[in-house]
Amino acid sequence: MTESFPFPRRAPMRITFTLGLAVLVIFAIVPAVGVLFIAFTDIRGIVGIPVHWIGLDNFVSFFSAAHLGYNLNAIKNTLIYAIVSTVVGIVLALGIAVLLNQKFRGTNAYRAIVFLPTVLGVTVIGLIWSLIFNPSAGPAASIWKLFGADSAFFGDPHMALGLVIAVQIWAGLGTSVVIFLAGLQAIPEDLYESSSMDGATPWQQLRMVTIPMLAPSITANVLLGIVGSLQSYQLTYVLTGANNPATQLLSLAIFSQGFGGSSASGVSQSQGYAAAISIVQFVIVGVISLVVLQYLRRREARL
Amino acid sequence: MSTDLSTPLPTRRSTHPRLAPAKTAPSSKPTQRRRGPRPGRIAGYVLIAVVMVLYLFPLLFLLNTALKSNAEFNADPVGVLTSINLGNFAAAWVKGNFGAYILNSVLYTAAAAGLGTLVSLLLGFPVGRGYFRRTKLWNLIFVLMLFLPNALITQFQLVRTLGLYDNRLGYILIMAAGVGVGPILMTGFVKSLPKELDEAAALDGIGYWRYLFTFVLPLARPAVATIFILQAIGVWNDIILATILLPDQSKSPLTLGLFAFQGTYTSQWGLLSAATLIVAAPLVIAYIFLQRYLVGGVIGGAVKG
Repeated sequence: MTESFPFPRRAPMRITFTLGLAVLVIFAIVPAVGVLFIAFTDIRGIVGIPVHWIGLDNFVSFFSAAHLGYNLNAIKNTLIYAIVSTVVGIVLALGIAVLLNQKFRGTNAYRAIVFLPTVLGVTVIGLIWSLIFNPSAGPAASIWKLFGADSAFFGDPHMALGLVIAVQIWAGLGTSVVIFLAGLQAIPEDLYESSSMDGATPWQQLRMVTIPMLAPSITANVLLGIVGSLQSYQLTYVLTGANNPATQLLSLAIFSQGFGGSSASGVSQSQGYAAAISIVQFVIVGVISLVVLQYLRRREARL
Repeated sequence: MSTDLSTPLPTRRSTHPRLAPAKTAPSSKPTQRRRGPRPGRIAGYVLIAVVMVLYLFPLLFLLNTALKSNAEFNADPVGVLTSINLGNFAAAWVKGNFGAYILNSVLYTAAAAGLGTLVSLLLGFPVGRGYFRRTKLWNLIFVLMLFLPNALITQFQLVRTLGLYDNRLGYILIMAAGVGVGPILMTGFVKSLPKELDEAAALDGIGYWRYLFTFVLPLARPAVATIFILQAIGVWNDIILATILLPDQSKSPLTLGLFAFQGTYTSQWGLLSAATLIVAAPLVIAYIFLQRYLVGGVIGGAVKG
């Protein structure tokens, strides 16, 4: 359906629309669709050497005995990372948003401080937490020592993933809090007034009024959290490097398989194989997002 | 930042009686201003204090470490500093070349987020208005673009093929194309502008382009700000694409420059902390002035989205 077009000529609109679309098509859509094709080739990082169509070889090799352990580990870490950081992040963000919505003095300052890590960026955040968890001389080590324990923290394979997730939650909480606060401010006050006249406790109000009314914000946050955490690796890269098995994520695997974890060694890597990992990751992200979206939509409808 | 915030925290923490929260919750009810559901205010302040400590302590500890001399750090790495030593800052500034990295990052962020926002406007306005056929299809395409697969490999290959490898423009174009929710937010916002405005402007003989840039752009400022900020945050924080596409260190953005610095001076915590603060300080200062718009920008996007 075309709405009536009031302007004298359509050409200017077509020109700028096409230009804008061209930027997206060339630099975002072509690369994204290209991954699907490249995953079936043996393309490498050097321009000019012949590229061969090798069918499903990259996918066979993804599930081959030589790679399966590494890849299953990456998938497992990715799922743990996504689920824990999304669920814990949302619960904490909701708690903080409800707290900050109580009109304490300085609410804006508190909100701004929780949002600050988003602005600081991953490298600054990475160094701050490496400093705190410095195994030889950091404050966390001092606390551990009080209990007679010591730990390598980010260097400890049993702890690294948990710590990276914790830092991710710390860093990402601001956006979720801000989205929840906006949702909370849209809830009409009389819902609280009438429910408290009916004798509802604050806890009951949280469960029966706040959370149902926040359903759209929760959906937005869950989806942003899942898609973001399934694909995010910048923080993990900064904190534990690209090739640490304890924190190996699928997205990091794409980077380290395709570029060797550093730009210098990138040229000889099998990028076709790395593209195949992208496809596997894409399928996992897609399936999980669709299932979760479906579930949340149904819940929203019921509420 | 630290001075105006650290003062209220200790008083708040020291005034709370340990068992107060549970008891004050019901008794504070009659004295509340308007709202029904409020946990005890003291309990609330205690919880806020805990959150603030979790967010401010790491930054204060960073400052504490940066201001220590090497001798003091070696003697007591964790304790509160006894004397202020600016040697780390001077050394980090000389060794780090951070001025150039900051300029690179500002350029990439402004150019990529600016171009991405322009694209969102150019695509979002006509689709939001229904000036094209298949409005639903375009909307679907905008949504699907959020779920594209990780395209590191092909972006690298594309930039190489176009001869834009190790070229600022190539990096900016790739980052600009990551518009995310931009077109969706724009189509949503356009619907809140009255259609009559288009018709009135057209009757006055104003062309499409002039209308788009002198009427729609200023009116859509809240949406434009949100779109720009969301994308700018992404560009500013990028490290992986910069690693892949810009091997020449003189073109590194701040993230990469600081990361390389961290790799070079491992375990020299005083120096690293000072370098990190040099990078963080302009951000924090800019943030103090802009936070209303930044945080408000995310809200605008969330509400419309």
